[in-house]
Amino acid sequence: MEEPSPTPDPPTNQLGSLNDLAHELASLEDLATRGSWRSILDKVSRARSLNLLTSPHDHLIYLSYNVLAFSKLRRFSEASNEIDTLDDFNSSYYKYETYPRLYPNRSGSMIPFSLRFIHAQLPIKLGNRQEGLDRCYLLLKFIREKIKEKESHDLHDSVRIWKRRENSVLNCLIGHHLGDKEFSLSLDLIKDLINRDYLDPVLVSKLGYIQMQIGDIEGAKGSFNSVETMLNERKSDEYFLSEVQFRNLVNRNKALVYLVGKDYVSAVREYEECIERDHTDVVALNNKALCLMYLRDLSDSIKVLEKALERIPTIALNETLVINLCSMYELAYVNHSEIKRTLSNWIVHVAPDDFDASCTRV
Amino acid sequence: MSTAPQGTHSLAFRVMRLCKPSFHVDPPFRIDPADLFVGEDIFDDPLAAANLPPILSTQLSKSMDSSDLTYGNRFLLQHPSDAMGFSGLLLLPQSFGAIYLGETFCSYISINNNSNFEVRDIIIKAEIQTERQRILLLDTTKSPVESIRAGGRYDFIVEHDVKELGAHTLVCTALYNDSDGERKYLPQFFKFVVANPLSVRTKEITYLEACIENHTKTNLYMDQVEFEPAPHWSATVLKADELHPAYNSSTGEVFKPPILIRSGGGIQNYLYQLKLASPDSAQMKVEGTNILGKLQITWRTNLGELGRLQTQQILGTPISHKEVELQILEIPSLINLDKSFSVHLNLTNHTDRELGPFEVRLSQDSVHGEKNVMINGLQTMVLPQVGAFASSDFHLNLIATKLGVQKISGITVSDTREKTFDLLPDVEIFVESD
Repeated sequence: MEEPSPTPDPPTNQLGSLNDLAHELASLEDLATRGSWRSILDKVSRARSLNLLTSPHDHLIYLSYNVLAFSKLRRFSEASNEIDTLDDFNSSYYKYETYPRLYPNRSGSMIPFSLRFIHAQLPIKLGNRQEGLDRCYLLLKFIREKIKEKESHDLHDSVRIWKRRENSVLNCLIGHHLGDKEFSLSLDLIKDLINRDYLDPVLVSKLGYIQMQIGDIEGAKGSFNSVETMLNERKSDEYFLSEVQFRNLVNRNKALVYLVGKDYVSAVREYEECIERDHTDVVALNNKALCLMYLRDLSDSIKVLEKALERIPTIALNETLVINLCSMYELAYVNHSEIKRTLSNWIVHVAPDDFDASCTRV
Repeated sequence: MSTAPQGTHSLAFRVMRLCKPSFHVDPPFRIDPADLFVGEDIFDDPLAAANLPPILSTQLSKSMDSSDLTYGNRFLLQHPSDAMGFSGLLLLPQSFGAIYLGETFCSYISINNNSNFEVRDIIIKAEIQTERQRILLLDTTKSPVESIRAGGRYDFIVEHDVKELGAHTLVCTALYNDSDGERKYLPQFFKFVVANPLSVRTKEITYLEACIENHTKTNLYMDQVEFEPAPHWSATVLKADELHPAYNSSTGEVFKPPILIRSGGGIQNYLYQLKLASPDSAQMKVEGTNILGKLQITWRTNLGELGRLQTQQILGTPISHKEVELQILEIPSLINLDKSFSVHLNLTNHTDRELGPFEVRLSQDSVHGEKNVMINGLQTMVLPQVGAFASSDFHLNLIATKLGVQKISGITVSDTREKTFDLLPDVEIFVESD
């Protein structure tokens, strides 16, 4: 068998494709977007046993995919064990400058950031919430130090990337605190984000949802009004949102206010406007179905969800929508096991590896 | 939760509590391509910084292209806040949950025909049965449902404001003609228990402090807590200055921090200053019954789910029938051990007739044990009569027999027939050595 040539040092030359970044990266990426995580495990295992990975960065990227695959498949202990095979993340083994022949003129860490991100959250998934939160906050501190360091060297592109990472970790922390109903803390963190210039209609909308969850309806309305103002004053695509997405966000926020006031008819109307504009708006579809149910129209609420799964399966198929549909089946049919089983069988054929099939409660 | 007779019924009730839905939240493992394909510091290299972004963004848009039928949306971060896992997707209530006094019970009720034949002339009733009463929520007697086809359903939603504690039963009954023309009766029972959400304790002087404790399993957002004073009182709520209201410079808004009482025993205190509405009502003060008013409490939980309670009338400590009142006006600032010191006192007659003569003494109270501050000289001081609504000043010589913080206690005023009018509340003094 021919000795595979080492992947050329990423990207000093003109890049064509992902495969220039790591060995057969395009294939890994393709599997990941299809949700074929078990195939990824196989591919990594094969690449390792056949010694197809030559450079340090190849090994690290493959390891990252492995860790990600285990995590997606909810095999958290294995994900954790995989990370444990590494030295400390900050070890010189994982620095470009340690291999000057392979990476001339490059320095810094070659650890893919997603490894740190997943490593920080694994304890939470393994039942050790405090350890996980501590790691996340330490990661935040690490990121902020990196930002300062890059700023002092005028590395503007790096600063941008690391700030985006800071943003993600903060958002992730808010999600964890919300999940544990630590509302005051979540509010403080999200306001902190907003005040630091990460002002963003999606974020302010989420602030509104948190306020609603608590019961502070007036506060939520205020937040949604800010979002609408941002839409009306919008200058360009500065908010990661397309025009359609922005308008739908505003409509969905309006719908929630109606829903809370028990005006389900108006809420449905808002959601229909969203769906008309963008037939892939799953949040609008799901929430519209719920409103129909609160309007005593169980049959139509079921139809909305079933149709969504039928027409846009790869977008509509998510655990929450399926749980809602199954709850509706349980209410609508005395003998609901049969219809749930049909759904379950369909899911098996269509769903990605990481789909949690226990949500059908079959 | 349901008990239904096993039998040959064509119909069956299905019930689901319809409290507000909740937002689904679950931070996902979603990744930005720049965090997976390359090392974290690679963008330090200007060449990489120039060459990589096009590849990464092409990849991102390819994976998120909905026409391509991929699950990129479960794997890639499209918007930074995707990492929160909080998209606004609503989830139906997954269990009955707890229900508390002051909330509204709402339920979806579906009556299914799971037989192969049509049923006709269905009279449906839904009632709430408690210890004390039976409340009708729905009754189709006047206009029965004509028919429910095989495999069909008739749905309705009922609401009931919960005003009683304890066991409640939702009784659903259907009276119908089945396919054989037989008139059948189907009762089904769904039980639940209503618990007390809050306890309110009050303490009062001319201030009313209310302490609200949350006994529920969720955090309660205090929408409104208002004190409704009784007719002759007025009340003002006293609040601490708000600490650090978060000011959003970008949108120019001030976020008012919500008042949230933690679940399972959290406490929030409210302070009201009470004033008598008019001087005339000072008379009422002496009369005895002292109704101050009541507290109206409105709270919200998940998605604004509303709960409301009103306390019973709150009573003030009965302003005493004090006919005669004893007060200390002045105590010397320096009190030495074993040296006599003089205390300036005042006796006031609150009645509309002349009272007295009086005797002022230190009561021999075994509860307080040995007294360290005693009357120096005659143990009983006699005071002459005092006219209606008049007062009289006098001095009492006391002596302290121990160093440090001591109490003047047990000074009593009574009339010559041993009827005690008033006991001076304990006063602390500091006794120093010479």
